[in-house]
Amino acid sequence: MNFSRMFHNLNYVVSALLFLMGLYTVVVKPNLIKKLIGLNIMETSVFLFIVSIGMVEGGEAPIVAEGVKSSQMVNPIPQALILTGIVVAVSTTAVALSLCLKIHERYGTLNAAEILGRGEP
Amino acid sequence: MRKAAVLGALLIIGAMLLFAIGKMPAMNSRNAPDKTHVIPRYLEKGEEEGGAKNIVTGVILNYRGYDTMGEVTVIFSALCAVVALLDREKRGLSRSSPDASGVRSSVIVRTVVRFAFPVIVFFAVAYMMLHGEGSPGGGFQGGAILGASVIVFTLAFGLPESTRRMPLKVRIPLESTAIVGFLAMGIIGLAYGVNFLTYLLPGVHGAMAQTVRNLMMTVIEVGIGIGGGVIFISIVFAMMREDKYELQPDVPQP
Repeated sequence: MNFSRMFHNLNYVVSALLFLMGLYTVVVKPNLIKKLIGLNIMETSVFLFIVSIGMVEGGEAPIVAEGVKSSQMVNPIPQALILTGIVVAVSTTAVALSLCLKIHERYGTLNAAEILGRGEP
Repeated sequence: MRKAAVLGALLIIGAMLLFAIGKMPAMNSRNAPDKTHVIPRYLEKGEEEGGAKNIVTGVILNYRGYDTMGEVTVIFSALCAVVALLDREKRGLSRSSPDASGVRSSVIVRTVVRFAFPVIVFFAVAYMMLHGEGSPGGGFQGGAILGASVIVFTLAFGLPESTRRMPLKVRIPLESTAIVGFLAMGIIGLAYGVNFLTYLLPGVHGAMAQTVRNLMMTVIEVGIGIGGGVIFISIVFAMMREDKYELQPDVPQP
């Protein structure tokens, strides 16, 4: 493994760590709300990763203005993609939260293990 | 035991991710493959082809217009799913947390919200939506801020006050403005014989064509902003029904 390369790609490493944290939360925590928080952390890690790909050393925002050359701008495609991704993440979170509300109404708990009838994990 | 297994699996996944990251081209590099193919063209001709100074706006509405239309459909579907699951808020029955606990939010919170609310709405509509093509901003961002401002208002003053000022019959038509604006602007082009979502009208040339295109794109941006914002507001209102299961527990024993 090339560690100096990894240091230059620090954003990627951080996004990998965030992804693992989110995955751990989703798998281990029994509370459905905490699972959702983990899912959102995983989504955020992917957003960080993709936006970081588009970065340029000393880059400017991709907005045409006086004195900004097009060669100085960062890559606009990841930003547009992630804008879409954020909206989809918000939508899925909204639907998941309303499912959680319904589950709480029906079972009186948000503990996945209790809902499945297996008691505490 | 289970935690140890999960941690072991995560270690393996993490090692794989770090290995792949070690092989990736250096971040910030101008020669990375993502910046060498189509991107220089987008950055050079983005204003001319995309019709907006903010190239991200041009990408969203022109190069990737179909994708954005699908995205607008996604948030609309999310609202449909939430309403199908939870139903709309019920006036008189619904209570938000300040009322449910019997405690009103403090004078300081209410005063600050009262002064900040119009400023936030002005920022969302005037700067983010209407000026989004020439500066940082855009429809979705403006919509998110608009939704957040009303949510802050609701947290400070309670749901009954919010729904009184933004009743359901006002919100229902506004929720569909995003997708209706998109389709209308696309279909106007189709009716005149150009491609869907090109924002051009035949027989209109030069500076006039630019104006027409800017106008159509602004209509879409404002539609996305208002529609997206109101959809967020409606979703949050639908979820604020604490009393329903706090005061009348409907919990069958499993």
